[in-house]
Amino acid sequence: MTVSLSRKYTFCASHRLHSSALSDEANRAIYGKCNNPNGHGHNYEVELTVHGQVDAVTGRVVALEMLDRLAEEQILTPLRHRNLNQEIDAFRTAVPTTENLAFEIDRRLRSVWKCFFGDSGPTLETVRIWETERNICEIAVIR
Amino acid sequence: MIISKKVEFSASHICRSPVLSDEDNFRVYGAAANPLGHGHNYVVEVAIVGEPDPVTGMILDLKRLKEILEVKVLDVYDHRLLNGEVEPFDRIVPTVENIAIDIWNRLVAKIDDTGRARLYSVRVHETNELFVEYRGE
Repeated sequence: MTVSLSRKYTFCASHRLHSSALSDEANRAIYGKCNNPNGHGHNYEVELTVHGQVDAVTGRVVALEMLDRLAEEQILTPLRHRNLNQEIDAFRTAVPTTENLAFEIDRRLRSVWKCFFGDSGPTLETVRIWETERNICEIAVIR
Repeated sequence: MIISKKVEFSASHICRSPVLSDEDNFRVYGAAANPLGHGHNYVVEVAIVGEPDPVTGMILDLKRLKEILEVKVLDVYDHRLLNGEVEPFDRIVPTVENIAIDIWNRLVAKIDDTGRARLYSVRVHETNELFVEYRGE
């Protein structure tokens, strides 16, 4: 029997949406207020969905403590209260939009996923990020 | 087309496996292994799938779905200690995973009997930060 389990985490960070490949005018047109040179911040929420078999003894699909530790090490500690543009390597080149932040978080989790959970463990099915209540981005593996 | 209905129940549980040591139980379940138990306000989202009836425009009469959920889920689960009072949690640990599977098992035949609708998924939210989805696979 397989189930999907979803767990939510929060962190706060600042960013500025600005592409060096675009003119100042184009940046303002595309990103609007998010292009403010002084930056601004969000309370981000990240929801991870994990899919796999329910263990017959523990009744768990994933060890929550391990999932929490993975999220803490790969997402929360590195990104919490950071200026994403200046302090996170990936965003020195890529614009820290919600889309690119989702890709970066997905990449960080997948880079160590097998080390944490092994080959036969649960899989990471979805990474979903709320930048605000109205702005949500999702990366999903279709099953 | 898929339609979802939400219901809520409150219950207590203890996440402990009799085949694990005390130490392992606390390692696996954390504070949820407290032998005195603790509780949650669970939110259950039941999704059914089917084509709407050409006359009524309904996949399933929502009053009927509400009755099924009341009898099959709420009457069984609401204000209970899951470990002692709800089968199969005298035998398996009432994790949110196993609760979702059990609710599916209680509903699936009843929903399929209604004709147009089939059960699509059962989501159980244990807290705002944690939920499980089971699709009978």
